[in-house]
Amino acid sequence: MKTRDFSLLIALALLWSFFTWQVPDFLGARNMTMLSIELSTTAVAALGMLLIILLAHIDLSVGSAIGLTGGIAATLIFDHQWSAPAAMGISLLAGVAIYSVMGLIVAKERIPAFIITLGGLLIFKGLFWKVIGSQTVPVKVGDTENTLSVLTTWYLPLWASIALVSLTVAVLAIAQIRSRAKRRSYGFEVESGELAFSKLFIKTQVLILALVVLSQFRGVPLSLVVLAAVALIIWVITNHTRFGRYLYAIGGNEEAAVVSGVPVRAVTVGAFMIAGVTATITGFMQTAYSGASTTTTGELMELDAIAACVIGGTSLAGGRGTVPGVLAGAFLIATLMNGMTLMAVSPEMKFIARGSVLALAVWMDVRLSRRGK
Amino acid sequence: MAAEPILETRALTKRFPGVVALDEVSFDLRPGEIHALCGENGAGKSTLIKTLSGIHPIGSYEGEILVKGSTASFKTIADAGNAGLAVIYQELALVDDLTVAENIFLGNEPTRLGLVDWDKIYRDAAALLERFKLDIDPSARTGDLGTGMKQLVEIVKSLSKNGRILILDEPTAALTEAEVDVLLDILRKLRNDGLTAIYISHKLDEVFAIADRITILRDGKSITTLDTAESSPGEVIRHMVGRKIEDLFPKRESDPGEVLLSVKNLTVQNHEGRELLHDISFDVHAGEVLGIGGLMGSGRTETLMHIFGAWGRRVSGTVELDGKPMDSPNPRKAISKGLALVTEDRKRYGLHLDQSIAFNLSLSSLDQLGSTFIDRNHEVKRNGEIFRSLRVKAPSLETEVGTLSGGNQQKVVIGKALLTDPRIVFLDEPTRGIDVGAKIEVYEFINRLTEEGKAVILVSSELPELIGMSDRIVMLTEGHVGGIFRRDEATQERLLAAAIRFHKDAVTTSATNQPAHS
Repeated sequence: MKTRDFSLLIALALLWSFFTWQVPDFLGARNMTMLSIELSTTAVAALGMLLIILLAHIDLSVGSAIGLTGGIAATLIFDHQWSAPAAMGISLLAGVAIYSVMGLIVAKERIPAFIITLGGLLIFKGLFWKVIGSQTVPVKVGDTENTLSVLTTWYLPLWASIALVSLTVAVLAIAQIRSRAKRRSYGFEVESGELAFSKLFIKTQVLILALVVLSQFRGVPLSLVVLAAVALIIWVITNHTRFGRYLYAIGGNEEAAVVSGVPVRAVTVGAFMIAGVTATITGFMQTAYSGASTTTTGELMELDAIAACVIGGTSLAGGRGTVPGVLAGAFLIATLMNGMTLMAVSPEMKFIARGSVLALAVWMDVRLSRRGK
Repeated sequence: MAAEPILETRALTKRFPGVVALDEVSFDLRPGEIHALCGENGAGKSTLIKTLSGIHPIGSYEGEILVKGSTASFKTIADAGNAGLAVIYQELALVDDLTVAENIFLGNEPTRLGLVDWDKIYRDAAALLERFKLDIDPSARTGDLGTGMKQLVEIVKSLSKNGRILILDEPTAALTEAEVDVLLDILRKLRNDGLTAIYISHKLDEVFAIADRITILRDGKSITTLDTAESSPGEVIRHMVGRKIEDLFPKRESDPGEVLLSVKNLTVQNHEGRELLHDISFDVHAGEVLGIGGLMGSGRTETLMHIFGAWGRRVSGTVELDGKPMDSPNPRKAISKGLALVTEDRKRYGLHLDQSIAFNLSLSSLDQLGSTFIDRNHEVKRNGEIFRSLRVKAPSLETEVGTLSGGNQQKVVIGKALLTDPRIVFLDEPTRGIDVGAKIEVYEFINRLTEEGKAVILVSSELPELIGMSDRIVMLTEGHVGGIFRRDEATQERLLAAAIRFHKDAVTTSATNQPAHS
């Protein structure tokens, strides 16, 4: 384990101890459920951000995009009586479209993403406020739940949660056995069976613990399942696809990537499009979580997403970062925000704490990368 | 007569995980001498320099470093600097956008009343440049100077900080021959003024032209120290590789087949619209090595990069592959059509230094490992094969490329190109900055390619290498073809004459037009 992973774990343990000491309810099933929903929104946004940062770009517009996409869906549902799936479909198209445009400009015109997405931040925010008419637009009409509103209010029934956990463990075990067999057939070394088993055992324990805690409230929230799906997809993309390998290549050394035959433009636009999808999903979840779209929905979430990436070991210079790291970083940010809310910390102090964590994370990144050299 | 050494190492041992980089190295530097360090890549030269200059601090090595007879304990580069050691690295440490004078005094600015004394900076810089007989304007923008001039500015900068011992790490790697002569002249003059220097170079002719003594490292051990006057390049090479080298250029007879690539009347502009290649035509046959020579700035690299789709805007002319036009593709298309390029500037265009050997090897040929998903196991197997066949010296495929020596980095670049299964391989200065042993491995690799019926285009600044390895040689001069020679009619004199045929300003022109990606 590296210094970076260790310090992240220690920071998490300290935060959890601190909040538990201050507010014993922090560890309660209800709050853990809230935390898992808040983690879902932060983490999905951060996973999209990861792809952009891997390319050595940055996306400052994601907070406004979250507001805009959630706002489009809520307005179509509440003001225009659309069915939720149709409204969300249109909103997803809009999200991917605006990100494609930013990606194209960054890739073709070679304007720094910092500037383009800063423009995006303001433009999307303006569009967002126009869409919702600067009002508060609920995500459902009356008390009728719909596909959008259930995102953060629906919980998996116990049998489904148990089935899901069992399935996950089974898939993990089978994948491990298959990969070991395949490695052997190629004549590579495999780690000892005991080690592999204990790793799997620990993962299973964590899943079961989470299941037990969450079930004491209402069960596993749907948003956590959404996060799991998004994380799995992004993990497969970064680890097992050509596209993913190209992300690291472009961020690490773009000139060498070009000469090596990497299609830089296509990959850049592709990464932005995927970030558009994750931003939209975050927009749905964040809007559903607050029950309505308001002018502040998604505000400053770009900073949480960037902080989650950096805390999780993603290099702002590009070419380095992993999905598990970003998840851990998002977990820390979500813990911090949740704990502060629970402690009834004033908004002023929340801003200061958020900013300090972001600055601290970047400073750690710089320090640790330097030592690695 | 042996004066007390000004700098000495005793049984210096430096270990990295899994490797002993320096193994009880003993070395002494006498005041007023230029002492060359020779050795193959990975022999320990760079590690020795880094240990001497405080990059590897005291405590991270065993043995002793003595400065003027007393044990030195450098914790930082600054400590070593205060003891009078100044290192001039291969990669220049100058800021392009500052003037020459600003660079010389960077971090060391004289002040008056708390403000920078600009008059003094320019006056002193002019005096320093004058002292070294350098015709450089102190108020010139550093980025506008050629590489050779920058190197000289770097030396002046080091000496201005009271460097008493100058460590020059491959100072001539990027210099033209004329610039090398200027540098060696200046070093001789400085030696007469009492300068002591450690000089690291792969080029034995320079070593013999400048050094008083030569210490040879091999596999981290100090093999021997020779007096230059009583030694010969042959003896040095023998000690470096630990065996006798019969033939530096193992060229075998080749049997050229049909024309693979045909370049016709190519005229190309750079992105600022300046025409850098004029009416260039040549053919490359299967199973043949086509050499491309010329002075710096003659358009060698640009020609390769343009055909590969990585540089320039074509004004006129065609490139034909198998008799069919290949329209100015991008590198991706070029690779898919069977072209492969090993670039000259491997750190900039060739490698991802922060990534593993495996990552670098695979990058150009991921298409072969699956259309969307990468078959990881197949990847490791394939990389392992090429890793072993190229004899890359590294602990494993997961080793970061940035930690490898130049020769091993070059093998990784070559491996990456080979994995794309090319039919035509462009090699741009493939042996620059690598040692004799690795050079011969590159030559043998060229022979293997032509035996398999592939075509090789070899760009080189070293005429003996061009003559030794090519079947035919195209000499470029100022972006024109100066002449095409068969191997049996090529002599150094003829090639040089062709290289300066259209030349107005052979010395000061350097390759300022870095190819930009499209």
